[in-house]
Amino acid sequence: MSAAETSSDQQLQAEVERLRARVTALESELVEVQDRANTAVAEWQERAYWLDRWHLDLNALMRKPGAAQLRGALRGIRAVTRAFRLAKRRLRP
Amino acid sequence: VSDAFGIPSVSVVIPVKDGERYLEELLASLARDGVDEILVIDSGSHDRSLEIVRAAGVELLEIEPGEFGHGRTRNLGAQRTSGELICFLTQDATPCPGWLGAYREAFALDERVGAAYGPHLPRGDTSPMIARELTEFFAGFEQKETAAAGENGAAGHHIHAPVVQRQGDATFLSNVNACYSRACWEEIRFREIAYSEDQAFGADLLEAGWRKVYQPAAAVLHAHDYGAMEFMRRYFDEYRGLHESTGHIEPFGVLDTARSVRAAVAGDRRWAAEQGLSGAERARWTARSAVHHGGRRVFSALGSRAGRLPAPVRGRLSLEGRDDRVAAKANPDSAVSPDSAPSISPVPPTTHMPPKRDHDDYEEVARFWREGPAPLLDPVPGMADRERLRLALVIPSFRRGSGGHNTLLQIFSRLEQRGHLCSVWLYDFTGQHNAEWPAVIRSDIREFFAPIEGPVYKGFDQWQGADVAIATGWQTVHPTLMLDQCRARAYIVNDHEPEFYAASTEREMAEDTYRHDLHCIAASPWLRDLLIERYDTSADAFQLGVDHNLYQPQPVTRRKDTVIYYARHVTPRRAVPVGLMALAELHRRRPDLRIVLFGDEGKLESPFPYEHLGVLTPPQLATLYSEATVGLCLSLTNFSLMPKEMLACGLPCVELEGVSAESIFGSDGPLELASLDPRAIAGALERLLDDPEHWERRSREGIEFVASHTWEHATDEVEAGLRHALREREQAE
Repeated sequence: MSAAETSSDQQLQAEVERLRARVTALESELVEVQDRANTAVAEWQERAYWLDRWHLDLNALMRKPGAAQLRGALRGIRAVTRAFRLAKRRLRP
Repeated sequence: VSDAFGIPSVSVVIPVKDGERYLEELLASLARDGVDEILVIDSGSHDRSLEIVRAAGVELLEIEPGEFGHGRTRNLGAQRTSGELICFLTQDATPCPGWLGAYREAFALDERVGAAYGPHLPRGDTSPMIARELTEFFAGFEQKETAAAGENGAAGHHIHAPVVQRQGDATFLSNVNACYSRACWEEIRFREIAYSEDQAFGADLLEAGWRKVYQPAAAVLHAHDYGAMEFMRRYFDEYRGLHESTGHIEPFGVLDTARSVRAAVAGDRRWAAEQGLSGAERARWTARSAVHHGGRRVFSALGSRAGRLPAPVRGRLSLEGRDDRVAAKANPDSAVSPDSAPSISPVPPTTHMPPKRDHDDYEEVARFWREGPAPLLDPVPGMADRERLRLALVIPSFRRGSGGHNTLLQIFSRLEQRGHLCSVWLYDFTGQHNAEWPAVIRSDIREFFAPIEGPVYKGFDQWQGADVAIATGWQTVHPTLMLDQCRARAYIVNDHEPEFYAASTEREMAEDTYRHDLHCIAASPWLRDLLIERYDTSADAFQLGVDHNLYQPQPVTRRKDTVIYYARHVTPRRAVPVGLMALAELHRRRPDLRIVLFGDEGKLESPFPYEHLGVLTPPQLATLYSEATVGLCLSLTNFSLMPKEMLACGLPCVELEGVSAESIFGSDGPLELASLDPRAIAGALERLLDDPEHWERRSREGIEFVASHTWEHATDEVEAGLRHALREREQAE
């Protein structure tokens, strides 16, 4: 086997090793990403139990006529309540 | 009969009797659409129908009421008209705009189109129940756009385009709103039968090689609405007729009825909400819907059992006022074609069954047989030895107390604790979890089986690939084989499921699951060997674990006179008839013996007295096993956890020899084995009752034997099996 062939084989071997390392890194990255996705979905399912139990789809609910107005009214009430509490706190000696 | 542009002429035939309510509106609509010819055939109206027809200036043919026949009169109408296309409408069906053009378009689709029909739309005052039923019925004839590749399980949506139906398709045809090519009518003609001449025409037409078209654009306004009581009496008549023609008995159960009424009412409410009904209207219709669907279930069940009711009750319940026991005889002249030979029995009227479900039970299996498995991802060197694997467990529908699911999730939760990325995918092929959303399913799994931390998905819409996709029950195998983005697939086999069935579709499909190169991980060496020998599949085995924190001798006094028997008679593989015969024999020999049956809520009738315990919780079982003298648990297929749990509580147990238990415990291990013979089983039980030393030895050996059978150990074996599946993929490359 000539020196040129040996060198070519070594280069090929090095390339294979480099690609394997890259695949391993990508696989690890995939596992990490899926781990985070699984955790996020599971946490959401934990939090959404009663919504799912009562078949409440908040997005669909908020698309209903009048929902945006109701939300606006509630925000208004909340703003007034907050302002009132703030004023009360400031007026307190 | 076609005009200069080749557009076919159209005649419309309308049989009428006392049809004044919608007739004017109907004729005006036809005049607006510009049909070429209208013929009204009146069979003795007493209301304003004749006056309306004459005022509209359309052709009128009057016949005697006795001459009317659904098929005969329509044949007469076709003969008396000349259009290339003949439309039939009923007197209460009003064509919607575009109706005529839509029919012409339908016949232009194919030269062999012999008939076309369109949907019946609800009128404005139609109840939501009937409106939804009509809408969904006709939607069932529409084409569904199939899901794009990769969107497993995604529901398609309807395409509102004409659908050509050929032989083998639905034969439905309705003369409420239908159109026929004259050439086809001349060849087929309506049968002169008492009912369903249109349905018969639909079947005959397809049989003769003609085609028909469902044309969604050729709609009419038409709905029959009755009062709640009238509806119920109508269902009584319908189901009585069905029973008389086919022998059908409508099943009835309180729980089933409650469930189906609940689902139907929810469907109606959803439909009403989609139609924009106000909250108050929806509340009113909800009550009416519950009465409607509840009444329908009750009256249809009563109707199919009408023969058992007293004649006056039958008469009162029938809308037609029929109180006779058998079907009213059809007029022989109208029921049988004049051309028929007298010896030929006429086919009874058919009952059209509208589509009631949006899928078949085994359509995924059929899809797999059609399309084959999804290709696996190329293997990556070293993937079998990675520390963290992405594992996706596909499980079938479940209930609290399911032993198979408990095994799977005990192991899966431990795989999760070891750092593997685990997700659970529910394949709900029975629709049992239809009303449950994923967070609820996840919570149930955690409560019923094991506290998994990962996500739970229902269906495969959000499928994201896995290192190993794991099938479990046989029903999950074909869907799992069609999941893409997998490096390997495995199959955790809890039992040899084909043996659960007699010769049947299910048995064949269950056997098929072992023939697709899935690496099997079997729940006993016996089962592993069976899979290898019978199906030549690659397989590993794992031993079922015992929860030793729970199943251990409890601080209660052990009785000397009690045999407990797991008599789950709803599970045939438990050989309960043999177990009962064995206990009867034992009772004859030892009448004072206390016998306790558990494992099923149903109380069995037996020739010996016994105590019934029903289904117990695991802690209650641990106490029962700790105070009983001998346990009896038989299994004709793979053994279950129960003998191990009995042994863990120090309770000697009798099982069947020569089956799977022997592969776990050996022929002279801690289990007392007996052949499938009542006397042999009674003898084995008696040996343990009579010989205290023998009892002590079995009890001690049992505790020692199962000490190493833990869920941790089972998880080790399953994990090794999953890595084996990945390794096989690497080696195959």
